[in-house]
Amino acid sequence: MQKTLYLFASGRLRRKDNTICVESEEGTKYFPVTSLRDIVVFGEVDLNKKLLEFMQENEVVLHFFGHYGNYVGSFYPREHYNSGYVILRQAEHYLDPGRRLNLARKFVEGALANILQVLRYYQNRGKDLAPYIEPIACLAGDRLSLCGNIEELMAIEGNARAYYYDSFNIILEGAPFVIKGRSKRPPADPLNALISFGNSLIYTKVLTEIYKTHLDPRIGYLHATNFRRFTLNLDVAEIFKPIFADRVLFTLVGKKMIGSGDFKRHGAAVLLKESGRRLYVKELEDKLQTTFYHRRLKRNVSYQTLIRLELYKLEKHLIGEETYEPFVSRW
Amino acid sequence: MATDIRVIGSFVQAMMICPRQVWLMSRQICPDEDNVFLELGRLIGSHAYGRERKEVHLGHLCLDLVRRGGREFVVGEVKKSSRAREAARMQLAFYLYELREMGIEAEGELLFPEERRRERVVLDAGLIQQVEELKRRIIAVIYRDKPPPPQKIPFCSKCAYAELCWA
Ligand code: SF4
Repeated sequence: MQKTLYLFASGRLRRKDNTICVESEEGTKYFPVTSLRDIVVFGEVDLNKKLLEFMQENEVVLHFFGHYGNYVGSFYPREHYNSGYVILRQAEHYLDPGRRLNLARKFVEGALANILQVLRYYQNRGKDLAPYIEPIACLAGDRLSLCGNIEELMAIEGNARAYYYDSFNIILEGAPFVIKGRSKRPPADPLNALISFGNSLIYTKVLTEIYKTHLDPRIGYLHATNFRRFTLNLDVAEIFKPIFADRVLFTLVGKKMIGSGDFKRHGAAVLLKESGRRLYVKELEDKLQTTFYHRRLKRNVSYQTLIRLELYKLEKHLIGEETYEPFVSRW
Repeated sequence: MATDIRVIGSFVQAMMICPRQVWLMSRQICPDEDNVFLELGRLIGSHAYGRERKEVHLGHLCLDLVRRGGREFVVGEVKKSSRAREAARMQLAFYLYELREMGIEAEGELLFPEERRRERVVLDAGLIQQVEELKRRIIAVIYRDKPPPPQKIPFCSKCAYAELCWA
């Protein structure tokens, strides 16, 4: 199983024979290149073209985060699974307004279904979440199916998310943090900082998996394509954010594993400190490595693999084989 | 689809196992290379028969191994095990058939390095008929605008397309 390497400390990243060598104040470490699927860089890291060529040859994706934990960009090596056919079908589904809307709706549908799943889970544990579940379920039903364009879809998703983020205060009752609505640039409180950080990580996770398929990450459906940025990963991440990122947040905050000491204030922004980022990443990786029995594949798969399977479902939709239905968590 | 459809050896091999693979390959939807069985096949392919091994590209054919035999050329095909033996045999028969179309007479040898075994393949009338029939079926599959639906067969469990098929 290939792993994600997270680099927190500053230092140097270079090729040493067939390994990736990380030099930092914490010492020098070597990682066999074949054991890595991607690298997430948080620290100030020096690297050179030789390293990038090595990454390209070995098909390792690099994701860079800025000093404030904000996503900066990715080194996405030249595609190795090229299928002109799949890319044409992907573009065709983007250009046809009906097909595009249909796919965009599926991503919102999946996102809301998984949000409801998370809320029901906490409702079953005694939290009074009915005032949030009802309006979101209503938006996820008729309102969503009647949508005539992408803007309306986005608006519905925005409304649903407003209810959802308010519900965090009920789910996390007794925790030292409160959320007063979603604030992204900059995150105004610790919960917003956690949400932003988690979402960015899920975007990179999905992007790495896209690299393993024939899909072009620049053609998204819900998130408008402009061919300069990756957007398909944003679409697919909608489905996984509630069940991966938000559940990690609830665990860390709910079980008081993370506290005020793991955040720092920077002007109007509240940011995760390195200690907080480490905690988050550890919890997220544990979650993604969890396996479950996949009935159609007839074997255990990890949640990490589940992301790739979701992309394959999308590929099958694009080649006209099977209508895409988003993954909805049952736990 | 492309106007010029050309049957290649890997399509023949795939057709014998699962027609769906042929359709996917024809669209360059290649399997996930992380798959351990593919790795294994490649490793064996690259280490076995080091001395006489030579991959030869001849037109649209990619022959695993060519050497001079007593009578004519011998075209070899290296496979991981005899389990996909019938598929390998037909792929080889296809090569012999295509070579004959180019005016080259050859005989074939199937190689099973792990079992230290070789097997002769001679293109006779019966085999010619099978190859022609197979080529027709392959072209028919490629012309479909959707892939043949996946069907659970024993081979699925070690097929590199499994994640795509059963996602
Ligand atoms: S997984 Fe099974 S159905 Fe799919 S291509 Fe392989 S053999 Fe065919």
